[in-house]
Amino acid sequence: MPDPEKPDGEIVYEVSALTKEFDDGRVAALRGVDLRIRQGEFVSVVGPSGCGKTTLLNMLGLLDRPTGGTLRFRGRELSALGDPAAYRARDIGFIFQSFHLLPNFTIEENVQMPMFGLPGTPRERRTRAVELLEAVGLGHRLDHLPLKLSGGERQRAAIARSLANKPAILLADEPTGNLDSKNSAHVMEILLRLREEHRVTLVMVTHDQELARHGTRTVRIKDGQVVSGE
Amino acid sequence: MNFFQVIFRGLWRRPVRTGLTVLGIAIGIAAVVALVGMASGYEKSVVDQLDTIGIDVVVSNMQGGIMPKAFDEPVRDAIASMPGVAEANATLMQMLSVEDAPMMVVYGREWDSFTWDQLKVIDGRLPRDAQENAVVLGKLAAEVLGKKTGDPIQIETGEFVVTGIVDGKSVLENGAINLSLPRFQEVSGYEGRANFVNVRVPEGTPAERVEALCREIETAHPGLRAVRATEVVGTSQGFRMAQAMSWSTSLLALIVGILGVMNTMLMSVFERKHEIGILLALGWSRARIMSLILCESAAMGFLGGVVGVALGAMTLAILEQTPYVRGFLEPDLGWPLALQAVLIAVAVGVVSGLYPAWRSSRLSPSTALQG
Repeated sequence: MPDPEKPDGEIVYEVSALTKEFDDGRVAALRGVDLRIRQGEFVSVVGPSGCGKTTLLNMLGLLDRPTGGTLRFRGRELSALGDPAAYRARDIGFIFQSFHLLPNFTIEENVQMPMFGLPGTPRERRTRAVELLEAVGLGHRLDHLPLKLSGGERQRAAIARSLANKPAILLADEPTGNLDSKNSAHVMEILLRLREEHRVTLVMVTHDQELARHGTRTVRIKDGQVVSGE
Repeated sequence: MNFFQVIFRGLWRRPVRTGLTVLGIAIGIAAVVALVGMASGYEKSVVDQLDTIGIDVVVSNMQGGIMPKAFDEPVRDAIASMPGVAEANATLMQMLSVEDAPMMVVYGREWDSFTWDQLKVIDGRLPRDAQENAVVLGKLAAEVLGKKTGDPIQIETGEFVVTGIVDGKSVLENGAINLSLPRFQEVSGYEGRANFVNVRVPEGTPAERVEALCREIETAHPGLRAVRATEVVGTSQGFRMAQAMSWSTSLLALIVGILGVMNTMLMSVFERKHEIGILLALGWSRARIMSLILCESAAMGFLGGVVGVALGAMTLAILEQTPYVRGFLEPDLGWPLALQAVLIAVAVGVVSGLYPAWRSSRLSPSTALQG
């Protein structure tokens, strides 16, 4: 296993001349992004609002398709995948600013949701979900619906969910963007601890320079282009 | 948690809407069960009746539509003298309003014919002869009319006396009013006329010979139709019409059900765009999302089917007690019909879910996540 602090592992993402245009080309969110991310890195992606940070993250997770350029994951061209469900289920864990927990399911059930994409019994799914929720300090709130939890607790549940399938990569979009400073620090501390424990590569979009400093590398984006940290 | 719990939770998120949709399907399925149950009940009643009486061939003139047209009674003698016929007798059957009952089956039966043989007297007696002013009521008919032995009864222009109550061993026989053929011809204005000739063939006659006899009767008496008792229902225009009507009404009810479920599932997909986006982001495949939507609509179909069969059974039980149905047929709701109805309901659910499922699979995760 690579040492997260010494990211000299294999290249997991190789992004080359990546573009993303909306509105029939009238709006360009990404204008030829080149980027390499190695196994074990913690890459902070920073930049002003609307610069294309989230669009880049969506491309890496194949939540959206690029308009041009190439996007390789462990040497495999991602845009060629028909339904990238298996890639998202097996290799990726998402953490969103708005948590995106399913409101009608308890947090334990929410953590089980990604596991439906991979083989496993209901008992195995439950055991794994409980373990993860205990790891983020929510072992006593397993049966709570998301709406009954505080913002910090919801994001902790979302972090537990992101690790459900033991992914190699965590893609976090402003994970503390909706939290106060105390919860923000707590969530960040958990994220850093779990990153080390689970030895995952973390790509985190943030506009908070303080949080960005936790990363092993900071990539700056401006007007849809990487201006530093490439 | 398993996939079925996810499906259930999806349906439970809007219990009122799910409930109303299930009710919509249930009403459609209840219509299917009630109408088809009535039609097959009628079929069963006729088959039972012919079987009980022991008729092999029924001769009638069905040009009149649902009720057979009357023909000259002496046709019976001509048929009785044909080779291969053991016995033949004429019957005049009419559906009439009798006293307070809106519709009753009245049979004028030839005196001394085998059609009286299976009537088991449970009270009173049979008429003494063909001229006696007497009627015999099937036990259901007696119940519907509120008559007992010795009561007077008015049939068309004639005043009669109930001389006996009988058990005819089939619904149609038990629901009928029976009197002698000449007395019924007299009071109903059909002197010298009948609308059925019931034929018995010698025991052991092969089916092909009976079939050939039917063709011979039809050749000898153009305009009349001779049908083996086992095929009376299948070849009856009235029954086929009733069956077609019951299925077409059921089809309409089912189309309404399909549109209802489709509307619900489409609304559900639009409302849950955000949730579907989350599931896609979490690694659910488009096929899994489609199967979730399809299973939800199939589950609604299944629930609608089960509730519909129960509602249909209740409707049949109520209809069975109405004067229009009582004595004519015993609605037939067996397991095959119940199972068929539930399967139809599940199919309705699946068909209705196809388009919403396809729509859900077309969602882009990033757009869906924005809600």
